[in-house]
Amino acid sequence: MRVPVLGKVSVFALLVMGAYTYYANSIPQLQSKPPEELSLEGGNVTPEQLVKAGEGIFKEKGTCEVCHRIGQKGTRAPDLAGIGATAAKRKPGMTAKAYIIESLLDPGAHLVEGYPNIMPKVDRPPIGLNRSELWAVAAFLESLGGTVGVKLDDIPKTAVAAEVKLPGDPKAGQAVFMGKGGCIACHKAGAIGASPVGPDLSQIAKIQTPEYIMAKILNPAGMGTVAGYPAGVMPATLGQTLTAREYLDLVAFLLTLKGEGAAPAAKK
Amino acid sequence: MRFRRSALALLTLSALGLLLALPAVAQEAARTAEYRAFPVIGSRLAVWAIAQLHLNFAAFILGVPIFAVIIEIMGWRTGEQRYDWLSHEFVKLTFAAFSTTALLGALLLFLFVGYYPKFWAYFSGIFYPTFWVYALLFFLETFTVYLWYYGWDWLSGSKKWIHVSLGVLSNLFGTAILFVSNAWVTFMTSPGGIDEAGNLTSLWGAINNYTWMPLNIHRLIANVVFGGTIAAAYAAVRFLQAKTDEERARYDWMGYVGNFVAISALMVLPFAGYWLGREIYAFNQTMGITMMGGFMSWLWVVQAILIGVLFIGSNYYLWLGMERIPGSERYRRYIPYMIMILAAGFIVWATPRSIPVTPSEMRVMGGAHHPVLGVLGVMSAKNTAVNLMILTTFLSYLLYRRANKESVKPWVGTGMAVQWLIFAAAAAIVTFYGVYGYFVESIVRIGFSVYQVLAVLGALVLVMAIDIPMFRGARSTGEIRWGTIAPRSQYVLILLAVTFTWLMGLMGFARSGIRQHWHVYGVLRDTSPDAVTPALGYAANMITVVTAVFFALVLFIFWLGGLGEKGKAEAGGHAAPAIAGGSHR
Ligand code: HEC
Ligand code: HEC
Repeated sequence: MRVPVLGKVSVFALLVMGAYTYYANSIPQLQSKPPEELSLEGGNVTPEQLVKAGEGIFKEKGTCEVCHRIGQKGTRAPDLAGIGATAAKRKPGMTAKAYIIESLLDPGAHLVEGYPNIMPKVDRPPIGLNRSELWAVAAFLESLGGTVGVKLDDIPKTAVAAEVKLPGDPKAGQAVFMGKGGCIACHKAGAIGASPVGPDLSQIAKIQTPEYIMAKILNPAGMGTVAGYPAGVMPATLGQTLTAREYLDLVAFLLTLKGEGAAPAAKK
Repeated sequence: MRFRRSALALLTLSALGLLLALPAVAQEAARTAEYRAFPVIGSRLAVWAIAQLHLNFAAFILGVPIFAVIIEIMGWRTGEQRYDWLSHEFVKLTFAAFSTTALLGALLLFLFVGYYPKFWAYFSGIFYPTFWVYALLFFLETFTVYLWYYGWDWLSGSKKWIHVSLGVLSNLFGTAILFVSNAWVTFMTSPGGIDEAGNLTSLWGAINNYTWMPLNIHRLIANVVFGGTIAAAYAAVRFLQAKTDEERARYDWMGYVGNFVAISALMVLPFAGYWLGREIYAFNQTMGITMMGGFMSWLWVVQAILIGVLFIGSNYYLWLGMERIPGSERYRRYIPYMIMILAAGFIVWATPRSIPVTPSEMRVMGGAHHPVLGVLGVMSAKNTAVNLMILTTFLSYLLYRRANKESVKPWVGTGMAVQWLIFAAAAAIVTFYGVYGYFVESIVRIGFSVYQVLAVLGALVLVMAIDIPMFRGARSTGEIRWGTIAPRSQYVLILLAVTFTWLMGLMGFARSGIRQHWHVYGVLRDTSPDAVTPALGYAANMITVVTAVFFALVLFIFWLGGLGEKGKAEAGGHAAPAIAGGSHR
């Protein structure tokens, strides 16, 4: 029996791909797992636990090992062995602790001689360490040749990973608030509006989460009723009447309402 | 044909309808879940499979017309009928794949909207205006390709130039489509035009992000390679199935042309790849280092093996092809040396630099890098190896070209000597910078690869500039005996097509895998259960399954195309011209 050409060709193609697949399966299998968030705020941790946690972050979420080695001079980044001690001598008048924190949050501020300014700010995405994690990493670095003395309060409050926000233009959102959305008929928002029908939204971004605000606009009844106000008054049709763009802009505007200053209107 | 046309119209319409419905869909999305789970296989695998298939088809329908038009122009200028026939044949293949591409594209869109609502809301918020541009371009592209295909007889003779222009035009539209969709994928890897919170500040910034242009160029060239290898594989199957010598001759020639186009483009592809890599480093060092030295480092070893197979396979095909050319005996003695260079280059390129090792492995090896092999693993050595492999492949082609020719020019001795000198000089420059690269800082070293590339490109141009006049009006030592090539050569063509398609799948995995747990790197995090980036084995299994499905679909479509042909053969139509004994230039 003669094997048809297509049969032979198909078997050949499958064999070739099979060989590649076999090879790819036979080499070390490395996954890249998404990092987990570590929160230590308010909790009691011993310095040992802190250093241990910091070491884990150094290796995993922080991806520091991509560039740094400990006890081995790299071509990309300085050896961090003994950094707990050397940090005190880097910048005149700066303590080891302060230098370490600065080199994490603003690596370009002081460059180690012979190295380019390539280190990312570790509290920003994509590394995006939060305060607890920065605290732990700083403690770990201190432990390399120095004494662990860093407190959570040493890490500036501004150092939190920037949250993901949906894109929207607050300025256009203000126009929606006063115009098409008709919110102004019932709500006050900072300097604009005065109606007492619905709650004052001047501080809404401070007192509520973005998720709540987004859901409230689309489905007011589903999110409970604000105490002291009538239920069923806030229109439930906004999800249908606003376009996606207007909706996102509106949310962006509401997220600027933090109760500071008179005019909450957008930047620019 | 009627059926296909209406199916396509329907698809375009439904895609447009969907576009119009998008704002509402996005709203719906914001109200409900961030992710939904695709039944059984999960959303990630569903998107992966459809995206890879869509890309395969799209690459095919963009790549094939590029050289179809080149071949048509060759036929038009030389007046040789067989080029025109071949070009028509290629456009026919494209045509058959058109509606499948559109269908897969629509499916992909549905998957995003339905299963990744949060991502889609963000993404459409950034790129919404470009969707319209895309739809318009798609319409224009479809329209011109229809005209190009159906106007073949109508716009012939003195109107041929109009026809050729249509071909060029449809390629311009096709390229524009590619560029628009590249803006989307590159934004996910290296976002631009947004502020720290992810808000859009400039649409042009989002489009023209770090990796957009390099990816445009890289994909454009790769599409030509891909189209060429697939067309060559098609010819190979027809060759193996052929019943008459005439058919064998025709498909032997078609396979040769397809492969020739593919190799020519393949030779410049690594350069585009380096550019892309450099831009990734420029965008974000960590990403670049993770890509080359982190969890993906083994991927480049696999890639090197595949590229080695491509280079060695295409050289082997040329050498087999020389056997059907009388007079080629003169050049056989070079082949062993070329094999040596290729094999050495292959080994160097496949040597990994830094791969994650366990402490005990490190102890055995005496450090993070192997004491001897580690030296071969760095970029300097790899650049050198690939440049030498390209030079060798070019030499193979040159020998093939002159296999049945004897120059009658009086200066042929000098000419050849100068050519060899150019080869030697290029090889010397490449090697010099390769070695020197070990003694300088990495910043300087990156610049060296530019000199190496320039040396190779310069050699290509100079050698051809001598070769073309040298062999003009050359004495022939005999006609190419088309159709007498060994059948195993046809399996080489199939090997090249399968390898290249698989390689595209692998590089696609690399491109999207380096984002790790991000939809949009550093901006929109992947919080789905699928946020883990899988290991290479898992990816390879997936790539193989999808590639196999792709080839099965392609076979089916070609089979359909063949059905139409059977009816036409009696009615005349585009009769294939005789090839056997036809002279090759
Ligand atoms: C992309 C490569 C890269 C990554 C990732 C990286 N660094 Fe760095 N780091 C550098 C370079 C280069 C320097 C030297 C230049 C400078 O001071 O900014 C440096 C400097 C430092 C210093 C100061 C060292 C000294 O001797 O003064 C510390 C501390 C440090 N890094 C800690 C970290 C930690 C912790 C992480 C992970 C959260 C990290 N780095 C991630 C490249 C990197
Ligand atoms: C017809 C009057 C009316 C209109 C118009 C209206 N709202 Fe309301 N809104 C209310 C009332 C009453 C409440 C409080 C009762 C409740 O929670 O349902 C409320 C509650 C809210 C809350 C929750 C406040 C909190 O402190 O929890 C938000 C946020 C909000 N509205 C936003 C909007 C936005 C944005 C618009 C415009 C698109 C809008 N509303 C239009 C009447 C209105």
